[in-house]
Amino acid sequence: MMKFIKLVVAALGSALFFASCSPENDEPTKYVPLEKYDSGVLVLNQGLFGQGDATISYISADLSKFENDIFSLANPNVIMGDTGQDIAFYGQFAYIVMNGSNKIEIVNRYTLKSVGTVDEGFSNPRYMAIYNGKGYVTNWGAGNNPSDDYVAVIDLATASVTSAIPVAEGPERIIENAGKLYVAQTGGFSFGNQISVINTATNAVSTITVGDVPNALQIKDGYLWVSYGGKPNYASAETAGGLVQINLNTNAVAHAYAYPDVTKHVSNLVIEGASAYYTVDSGIYKFDLSANALPATPLFTTTSQGVYGVYSFAIKLGRFYVGDAGDYENSGKVHVYSFGSSGESAGTLVNSYTVGVIPAGLYFNL
Amino acid sequence: MTAKKLFLFCMFLVCEFIFAQHDTISLREVLVSDAQLKNFSNTQSVTVLNDSVIAKNAASLTTLLNYNSTLYFKENGLGMVSSPSFRGTTAQQTAVIWNGININSQLNGLTDFNTIPVSGFDNVTVRGGGGSSIYGSSAIGGSIHLNNELEFGNGFSNALHLNFGSFNTFSAAYNLKASNTNTSVQAGLSRNSSENDYQYLGTSDKRNENGQFYNTSVNAAFGYRINSHHYLKLYSQLFEGERHFSGTLAARSKSKYRDVNTRNLIEWFATSGKWTSRTRTAFLSEQYQYFENAKTQNFESAKAETFIAKYDLNYILHPKVTANFVIDYTQTKGFGEQIGKKNRSIGAVTFLMKHQITRRIGYEIHVKKEVTDNYESPILSSIGTYFHASKNYTVLFNASKNFRIPTFNDLYWQGLGNSDLNPESSYQLEVGQQFRYRKWFLSATAFYMDIRDMIQWNPDDTDGNFRPDNIAAVSSYGAELLLTYEKKIGNHRANIRSNYAYVISEDGETHRQLIYVPMHKANVNLAYYYQKFSFDYQFLFNGYVFTPSKKYNIVSEYFVSNVGIGYDLGNKYTCKIGVRVLNLWNEVYQSVLQRPMPGRNYSMCLTLKM
Repeated sequence: MMKFIKLVVAALGSALFFASCSPENDEPTKYVPLEKYDSGVLVLNQGLFGQGDATISYISADLSKFENDIFSLANPNVIMGDTGQDIAFYGQFAYIVMNGSNKIEIVNRYTLKSVGTVDEGFSNPRYMAIYNGKGYVTNWGAGNNPSDDYVAVIDLATASVTSAIPVAEGPERIIENAGKLYVAQTGGFSFGNQISVINTATNAVSTITVGDVPNALQIKDGYLWVSYGGKPNYASAETAGGLVQINLNTNAVAHAYAYPDVTKHVSNLVIEGASAYYTVDSGIYKFDLSANALPATPLFTTTSQGVYGVYSFAIKLGRFYVGDAGDYENSGKVHVYSFGSSGESAGTLVNSYTVGVIPAGLYFNL
Repeated sequence: MTAKKLFLFCMFLVCEFIFAQHDTISLREVLVSDAQLKNFSNTQSVTVLNDSVIAKNAASLTTLLNYNSTLYFKENGLGMVSSPSFRGTTAQQTAVIWNGININSQLNGLTDFNTIPVSGFDNVTVRGGGGSSIYGSSAIGGSIHLNNELEFGNGFSNALHLNFGSFNTFSAAYNLKASNTNTSVQAGLSRNSSENDYQYLGTSDKRNENGQFYNTSVNAAFGYRINSHHYLKLYSQLFEGERHFSGTLAARSKSKYRDVNTRNLIEWFATSGKWTSRTRTAFLSEQYQYFENAKTQNFESAKAETFIAKYDLNYILHPKVTANFVIDYTQTKGFGEQIGKKNRSIGAVTFLMKHQITRRIGYEIHVKKEVTDNYESPILSSIGTYFHASKNYTVLFNASKNFRIPTFNDLYWQGLGNSDLNPESSYQLEVGQQFRYRKWFLSATAFYMDIRDMIQWNPDDTDGNFRPDNIAAVSSYGAELLLTYEKKIGNHRANIRSNYAYVISEDGETHRQLIYVPMHKANVNLAYYYQKFSFDYQFLFNGYVFTPSKKYNIVSEYFVSNVGIGYDLGNKYTCKIGVRVLNLWNEVYQSVLQRPMPGRNYSMCLTLKM
């Protein structure tokens, strides 16, 4: 018997020769959350699809305060959800559109405390606009069905979806002007090239053809400006991006500006003052609204911050804010750059923040 | 309540019957379905789970192997998609072999272990380590073998197994075997269904919504002895299932998934003195429909059909030297909205040899080369030895080169697939030690594996879309222990069966443990029998695992226990009734992030054998 036990011990020893290790389990020191999230920007971090790990980060307007995962800090027992897509503000509330969870989380926009959830009536919800006590949320529907896409109408007083307005495949960004909703038909699971115009009084839908894959909408002085990306390189034929200017009185295209180079994919249009700003890959471009052609070179680039392609972009408080999704799996970054007014040069890095996974949107809570 | 009534009704009705005559013929002969598993697996760890172990564990291969092997399972909630990790590898690196034929999906490369009902197989064998030179692609971490053994001259027997459980879970399996000296027939039918709407422990009102499923499978095997040198064998399986995919704590789900798989194999087996030849053709089909919204008729689908022709010649050169030469051809056609219509043809030549040098020591060599237009195929090989140091102690050693070919989805997925992918390759070593002492058996195996060109779907830096590439390198090492013991005193019998695995599986670049690979996994099965009474206790420990999420980095470890009692009411035939309590201690646990598993639940079973 002894011999056997020795054999067993020897076998265990040789088989379990490799050292074991355990995860680092340091007890974190007690952290006191900020609890107030006004006067700053909310960064919506999409998280990884299917992991239910979307988060929100906060950067104060004076850049002195910063906090990650503020939804969980405010609501430890609520799971915010899967794939954060958009945030809309209305009164004291913020409506957080969760694409993967097919729901909207409603919170107090200043404390992030949970107020409620709307979880019926959505199918792949994307972006939200608010008008006249109603929320309008674009929905892609099922991935392989090109004809089940719609704009869900939410009665904000009862926080429930009351109707659906069918639109073409892949409705994405949505903006309101004078009782009309303008919806960029990105194409969802294919490639679109139109803007849907919805009359909120009648829910009648008309369309305006722009370029391939319209991705951002801005309104300025009676015109709708649209940036479109063009078809990506994995499409059967790659196409270039550009800008389109639409007269809001006639819904007719006033001007169209396209890049000659099919690899230039324009996105993230923001109009500030008399200029349009947009991004192509890691470059920030400036276009004078009265110019005749799109600029060939960027105003500045984010490559020294290691940004491969700008994921989200905003101009506010005299600064550029750039969301960098990095490798799309690990924590992303938000870089803040000087705007270039009052004599300083545009695009000087002011600060960088390590935020959550895939910073998809920047929302100023001012 | 209705289930209980039905159960009692069946029990009393059936047990009183007097069954047909049971003829006994002493000359039994068994034809194995997987010759290489039997003849050329002497230098690796091989564990056979026989029908009595299979019967004790519920309907799916997941439960059977979770409690009886070192394989780790990542299960998207009870009954949902279940993928294994064997020795720290991915689900696609574990091959499932049905009667000698690799049945991993041609579309996504893996087998969902919850779509394999285990009823109807005579044994399930777990073969650790590389086996690519015998079984082709995917046998990197190891292979799982589902075997039907055709017996001649063993008369008629049949068995009915019924199971009613919590969440309206029902399973039924009927199997019959009939044989005379020249003909052998096996047939099986099984059905599993569940509402699967268990409550999520630790939440006030959340349930497992949209988790209902059903599946039906039919198994058949037929053997015919033409004369003493020639046999004809036929194996057939049909599986049809529909599962609603349950959601997560963060996202509800509306989707469902239907799949139909068919497997047919015909073999002409000829033996003459030192020569044995097997000529096989097989036809496999798999198809699925995925409904993103189960309420609509809109679905996405794909289908793959595989035809295999194989000639296998075995020659005993010398009483101690056996050589085996195999030539095979496989053609696969894939169709689907996302992959289009694609074909793949692969030819392969395999040479296997074993040599018993002395009574105590011997070795095996396997070499395989594939020829195909689709990718660069390496020469696969394996070399191993065994040494029976004493009647109590054996040492095994095996080194092999293995591979996994890219799947149709990897190559052709619309807009994302990468047609330039090469196979993954792996080098591995294992040393096994086996100790036998009276009724004790202990096996300890240490392994090391180096996997290169691993195909991984990662987000593209340019647009965040997931695309596959041969980028990752992984090294895995660790150890596996298996301990079994049996004891019999008078009418009392007891046995223990326990597994433990320690696995480090590191990404070559980050040196971090791979996601969903626990460092520790253990299970223990205790069984006790006294006359017609039986009792068993199952215990499972899964160590914590990492997840892809940065926010929820870990799924915690869990301990789950099941307990069962049974009593045989029959006299001449088996008529066993049993009750099981699953998750006895009401452990709150998740196998996959945000997907809670059920708390304590119950099942009643009835087994009739005639």
